[in-house]
Formats: sequence, structure tokens, C-alpha cells
Amino acid sequence: MKVLVCVKQTFDTEAKIELKDGKINDAGINLIINPYDEVAVEGAIQLKEKGIATEVVIVSAGADKAMDAIRTALAMGADRGILVKQDSAADEYARAVALADAIKKENPDLILAGHVAADDGSSQVPTRIAEILGLPHVNVITSIEIAGGKATCTSEADGGTAVTEVSIPAVISSQVSWNEPRYPSMKGIMQAKKKPVATVDAIAVENKVKVLEFALPAGKTAGIKIEEDPDVAAAQMADWMKNTVKVEVK
Amino acid sequence: MSANFAYLNARDLKFILKEWLPTEEIFAYPQYADYYSKEDLDSVLDPCLKMAKELIEPSNEDGDSHPCQFANGKVITPPTFGPLFHKLQEEGWGTSNIDDSEDAMVLPKVLLSAVWEMFLAANPTFLPYIILTCGAAELIRDFATEEVKEMFLPKMMDGSWSGTMCLTEPSAGSDVGDILSKAYPTDNPRIFRIKGSKMFITGGDNDFTENIVHLYLARIEGAKPGTKGISLFVVPKYWVNEDGSLSDNDVQTTGIEHKLGMYGSVTASLSFGENNGCRGWLLGANSMENDGVGEGMAQMFQMMNGARMETGHSALACIANAYYNARDYCKDRIQGRLITDPKSGRVTIINHEDIKRTLLMGKAHIEAMRAMMYRTYFAFDIKHNDLDPEKRQKASNLIEVTTPLCKAYPSDEAWWLIGEAIQAYGGYGYCEEYPVAQIARDVKIYSIWEGTNFIQSMDLVGRKWMMGKGAVFAEFLQEMRDFCEAHKATVEAAAGGEAGLPDLSLGKEFAILERALESYSQLQMAIGGYMGQKKVGMLPLYARRILTATSQLYAGRCILDQAVLASRKAQELGPDHYDYNFYIGKIMSAKYYLRNVVPNVWAVADIIKDGDCSALDIPIGAFDY
Ligand SMILES: Cc1cc2nc3c(=O)[nH]c(=O)nc-3n(C[C@H](O)[C@H](O)[C@H](O)COP(=O)(O)OP(=O)(O)OC[C@H]3O[C@@H](n4cnc5c(N)ncnc54)[C@H](O)[C@@H]3O)c2cc1C
Repeated sequence: MKVLVCVKQTFDTEAKIELKDGKINDAGINLIINPYDEVAVEGAIQLKEKGIATEVVIVSAGADKAMDAIRTALAMGADRGILVKQDSAADEYARAVALADAIKKENPDLILAGHVAADDGSSQVPTRIAEILGLPHVNVITSIEIAGGKATCTSEADGGTAVTEVSIPAVISSQVSWNEPRYPSMKGIMQAKKKPVATVDAIAVENKVKVLEFALPAGKTAGIKIEEDPDVAAAQMADWMKNTVKVEVK
Repeated sequence: MSANFAYLNARDLKFILKEWLPTEEIFAYPQYADYYSKEDLDSVLDPCLKMAKELIEPSNEDGDSHPCQFANGKVITPPTFGPLFHKLQEEGWGTSNIDDSEDAMVLPKVLLSAVWEMFLAANPTFLPYIILTCGAAELIRDFATEEVKEMFLPKMMDGSWSGTMCLTEPSAGSDVGDILSKAYPTDNPRIFRIKGSKMFITGGDNDFTENIVHLYLARIEGAKPGTKGISLFVVPKYWVNEDGSLSDNDVQTTGIEHKLGMYGSVTASLSFGENNGCRGWLLGANSMENDGVGEGMAQMFQMMNGARMETGHSALACIANAYYNARDYCKDRIQGRLITDPKSGRVTIINHEDIKRTLLMGKAHIEAMRAMMYRTYFAFDIKHNDLDPEKRQKASNLIEVTTPLCKAYPSDEAWWLIGEAIQAYGGYGYCEEYPVAQIARDVKIYSIWEGTNFIQSMDLVGRKWMMGKGAVFAEFLQEMRDFCEAHKATVEAAAGGEAGLPDLSLGKEFAILERALESYSQLQMAIGGYMGQKKVGMLPLYARRILTATSQLYAGRCILDQAVLASRKAQELGPDHYDYNFYIGKIMSAKYYLRNVVPNVWAVADIIKDGDCSALDIPIGAFDY
């Protein structure tokens, strides 16, 4: 069984976001595999270790730098990679189209991805890929069983869990609680360099989303310090909340 | 108790490996060429930084709060240590790197050292279990017969078994020649019966490996006294039978030490052969077939030299982690107002002059020591791999001269430098709630084990100064003079101090290094003079200060070399580049180190020329008052 995992390269979650010339400045930023995708990679490798998957292929759409994310997944234990070269300004639609095209050519039995990317948080790409390819789709799974051409997926549902059975091929997205991604071993890192990675160009489609402006969240405004006796302080605080912060009481 | 690995990034390590040292030479050697290039190093260093933080740091807290225990003849280690040991060993970050077979996948020393530095900083107490296993396995690799290699190495390399070095005995510490451990011949000329007791043995027992392989110094009965007559044996805790099964080898743990720090590291007292049932494999020639002269000390020196490097490196990692923690604290802690602008309100303490000085003092020492150490690690890779005998010899000479510096200088300075990191915290630094208190407790051992720093100093002035009739040390000094000569002209022309930008010129710093070199020659001449007058006591009297001065001179040369490169890069990139601050920081480190630390070289030279003998003249009775 061939398992394909979609991986996005994102900023390190600790990175400090800055804007330069109206755009997010990525100079000097540490880039990592989207932590949610890392869980999908781990899930795929575990399927291989259980003898269910025979090959784990990593696919990433992005700039040349995304190669590092592919290599990291290969170091964890995936077998080969595909870099779909695409402008970093591509939106979720364009990404999904490009990835779906590459996936179709690979004809995998199972497509895994993280359910959301840590950078733009839009949770669209796996669902769009499933739609484009006309495949069943299960989101935010916490475990998976494969047998008899079917995937039985457990996912979080309101107040409980949902168990969904789908035929495969299917597009399945992971929740972080599925597993704990491994650290690459020394040999894994060394071998990753020799594993094959194909580079293809993304099919050209127009973005559907037009970014008008990037803005950083407004900084926290300074609080006030009331150094009075409690009775006076309480009155001043109430006044400040009502007239300055304008807290609405319903 | 709150261990915290505070390396924010591996930028300085990357600078050393990717920009400063010509590591492309190492990665071109056949053993590495298939796997590495300079460009790939991030893929090793970045995940290791993450592992240090997420995987290893928690074990440091565990070790401090669950000290090793000894009950019913058995040792209990902190719960996280065993699983961590096996994980790192199995995944290729430890003893498998000593494999020298052709198809072995191993890290070059200079790169493995960078990985270990981060691991050491994350848990200095844990790493000795791995480091000692590496050292013990290397001795077996280099000196054992094929039979013994096959018996031990695979199990040591995959982490099933661990290793130790057994030198110290109750009556023999610094003077190993006084050991009482004995070895008696058996029917098998390679196997000896062992009898003796050892103490202070790091990792001497544990509850997580199936066997422990002791590299054991003993004297074959009838061999010469002193270090000359000593031989080296492989003495496993459990004897390895021909079919690979294990049986008792009469090795008992009699107790463990309760120490100032390093709570997670077992320091065991061991008795061997109390019931006449302990056996060991001899490494190398039988002393009784060689006029009673054994090869043990020379062989053990290989492990000791490696362990001396790792000891200095551990001290460096602890200093770095203490200062990185202090930096973060000083960025947060609000206290006081600026002396230059008292009306502007309260500020974080990193804005105060004295705190900035403290932090830069730490940063400068860390980077200077790191530069010095990695230059030696680089030489290890050349020595082991290069085909050119002349290059190998040069590398070997550098290793010989700098090993005592690398061991003793960081471990000497660590105590007061970490004290100053605590000082930067104020009262909170003295409290166990913050990580620097534990670092201070853990770090003291490094100036003591692997030969006290006095022993290192005597190695420098007694052996290394004299090697090759003085030619090796002369070459070491000449290289520094050549370095000054080569760069003087270029740095004088370098840009500096333009409006609003920091002064990047390094002319003054080169002048200081030249003056220090000149002073060092005078220092050596003064000592030579005392020796000529048969004032032998002057050598040990000043040895430790000479070691410090030698290290400051050499570390000054190394960090100044880095600053020359950083100055060029900073000018190329300009102040708007994201990496500009890294290079400016490097230049400031070099300036601080050269202008505030290296002048100690001429202070020491002046003191030695003056030749105060009060410490020799004082009667011992005068210490009663
Ligand atoms: C935590 C810990 C772990 C250790 N791990 C190991 C281990 O794994 N294996 C092992 O074999 N040993 C180990 N040791 C032992 C360690 O190497 C010795 O403690 C060290 O070499 C010093 O020996 P000593 O303690 O007997 O001190 P001593 O030799 O008694 O020295 C005491 C002081 O006298 C000085 N001194 C000694 N001789 C002279 C001299 N001739 N001239 C001037 N000054 C002198 C020393 O520098 C020192 O300051 C460990 C020790 C500790 C505390």
C-alpha cells in the first residue's frame, strides 16, 4: 500500500512575526514541518512499521526551501519525496490544485495530511484535495485501522468520538493527539540525503483569494495601576472599565 | 529545581562549523563524503537542539530531584536515565560513532561535539554514562584482540552494555602510580585474575544496562612499581561466556558518594575479586614479558585525553547554559532606572551597564573557549583521517598542547563565571527555583576529575612545553605570531566607528595579542631562569597561573580570528540584515575578551618575573593562625 503525506513548511511556532514592505518577513526565520503534518508523517511511518504500508511518499508544494521539510520527513523514515514548486503566495485553492495534480499521478492508496497549518490556520487543503480528486474524506482523526480496502478512522466529535469507515483511497487529516512524532535518528538524517526527491512545477492556476493587507495584531495596551485604599480603588476601577475600556454589561 | 536548556539556537555552532573552520576538508574524507556537506549541517544541528530541549532537559530535572540511591547492594538511577540512554545509543548519537569499519555511518568528531555540547548543556549529569562508554569502547577497539573486540564492541555500540574508567583507589588519586590493584596470571595468557578496590567510579554501577565493562588499571604481580608497571584490563561486571551468556564476575558495588552536585551520576566504590572470582582480559603486552613494564598507562591516556576534552566541554556547556538563562532573566526582570536617564521610568535590568557587562563577559568567555575547543576537535578529525603524514603530525601536536588548556581553562573559570551569572539574577539566582543554582553545584567537579587542574598545569609546563625538545610548543607560539602578522595590515584598514554604527576595527585587539605573545616569551624565560637556578618549586608554584595565561593567549587568538571573519561579514551584510547582530555580537565578544581578559597574560608574566616565593617560604605551622 502506498501512503502519500502532504507536508507544508511553516515558520517555527516560536518565531517572531514581522512585516516588511507590507509582507510577512521570512528572513532569518527558522522553518519547520507544520507540526500537524508531522503527526501525519509519523502516522504513515507507523503504518509502514506495522507492515500495512509499503511505501511512504512525502509531497510538499512550495518554494525551493520546502526541500528541507521533505528531508526532515525522510529523516524520520519516509521513503521518497516530491517537491511541487510553487510561488509562496499561492492560496489554499492553488495549493490544493497543485497537490491534487501531483497526487493523481502517484495514484496512492491513502493520502494523509495535518488537519490545519500552524501558519495560516485555514484548514482547507486536505478537504479541497479530496473534493478535486473525488475521494472520501475524514478529518481530525486520532487513530486509523486499515483492512479489506477500508479505513476505519476515529476522530474527535462534540463531547465524544466518532468512528467513520471509508473506502480507500481516501484523504484523511490528522489531529495532533493521534501520536507523538519521533525525532529523526542519526542514521535517518544521513540516509535522508540519499533518498530520491523529484521536483515538478505546479500547474498554474489563479489564486481565488486576494490578500489586501497584512497587519500585526494590535499590541496589548498598558494597564493602569490604582494605588488607593480598596474602597476608592474599586470605584475608580469600575469607572475606568465603564468609561475608558467601555466594557458592556448585558 | 528547575533545569532549563536555554540555547535559543545553534547559531554560534553553525558559525564555527559552516563559516569559520574549513570543515569541507573533513567532509571530503571517504568515511563522510557520501553523507555530508557543509550545507547539510543544519539538518543535524536543528533536530538535536530540539531533542536537547524536549527530550533531554526533562531528565535533568529528574536527576536532580531523584538522586542516585544505593540499597541492598544495588544502585538505583533516576527513572528517566535508562530509557534516555537506550534511546540516544540506539539512534546513533553515542557509542556507535566509534565504529571505524569502512561502511560505518558515523559523525565526524567536530560535528558530534557540537551535538554533544547541546546535550551536555541540557543534562550534564546524564552524558557521562554515554561518554565513558565511548571512551571504554575506543580502548577496546584500539588495543584488544579480535576475540575481545567481538565480545564487547557490538553490545557497547548498541547501548546494551555501558563502560567506565577505573583508575582511582582510596590511596591513589592524583598519583595513579600508587594503585594497589593486582592481576594474577591464569592458564589463559590473555586472562588474569583481578583483585582490588576502586572508588569514585562514574557510572560504576547502574540499573539500566545488562553489563558494565570496566577499563581497569592494575599491576600484574611482580611488575615494576609506579606508573611504569601498570597494565590495562577489560573487567566486565558479568563475565561473558563463549556462548554469549553472562555469569557473575565477583564485582561488587560497596557504596556510592553523596555529592555537592551531579546527583543523577553514580559515583561508585567497587570491589573486584573479593571472593577470588574476578577475571579480566589484558590489553596489549604482558608486562612480565617486558621487564615488568606495562602498557596500561599509555593506553589509558588515550581515554583520559578524550575524557579531558569532554570535561572541559561539559564545563563550557554549563557556563553557556547558565549565561543563556541569565540573559533571558535579565530581559524580563524590571528593576531600577537608567543612570543616564533616571526620569524615563523603570527598565528591564539588561539595560543596566553592569548587567550588560556581566552578560558580555560571559558571552566573550563562552565564545573564546568554544573557538579554542572546536579548533582542537577539528584537529582530531584531521589526525584520524588525513592521508598526509605531515598534516596529521601538525594536528596531533595541536591536540597535545591544547588538551590541558581545553580541560582546565573552562573548568577553572566555570565556578566564578557561573557565580557571576547567579549575581546577574540577584537573590532569585541563589534560589533552587531558578536553574543557575543547580548548574553551579554540578559544574565544580570538572576542575577535579580526569586529573585535577593542577595535574593539567603540570602536564602543560612539564610535558607539553618540552615536547620534541620544545619544538612543538615553539610551533604553537609561532603560529600565533604568524596569525598576527597576516592580519595586521588588513584590520588596520577595516571600517570602523562611522556615525551611529559600532566600531568594527580590530587594530587595538591585534596589538594586545602581540603584546601578550611578547609577555609570554618573557614568562617562559623567567621560568627557565628559575629552573637554571635549580628553584624547581617555582614551576608547580606558578603552573596553574601559567595554564590560565596560556589559555587566555590562545583563546584570544581564536576569537580574534573569528572576529576578523565576522567584521568582513558584517560590513558585507549591513545593519538591515537579519544576521547583522550575530556578527556584531561576535566582534564585541572578541573586543571584550582581548581588551579585558588577555591583558592578564602580562599581569601573570610580571608576577612570575617578580618571583614572589611567600607561598614556598611560609612555614606550615604558620597556617595555624
Ligand atoms: C564525582 C567524581 C567522579 C569521579 N569519576 C572517576 C572515574 O570515573 N574514574 C576514576 O578513576 N576516577 C574518578 N574520580 C576520581 C578523580 O579523578 C580524583 O578525585 C582526582 O583525580 C583527584 O584525586 P583525589 O581525589 O585522590 O585527590 P588527591 O590526589 O588527594 O588531591 C588533593 C589535592 O592535592 C593536589 N595534589 C595532589 N598531588 C599533588 C602534587 N604532587 N603536587 C601538588 N598538588 C597535588 C590535587 O591537585 C588536589 O588539589 C572521580 C571523582 C569524583 C569526585
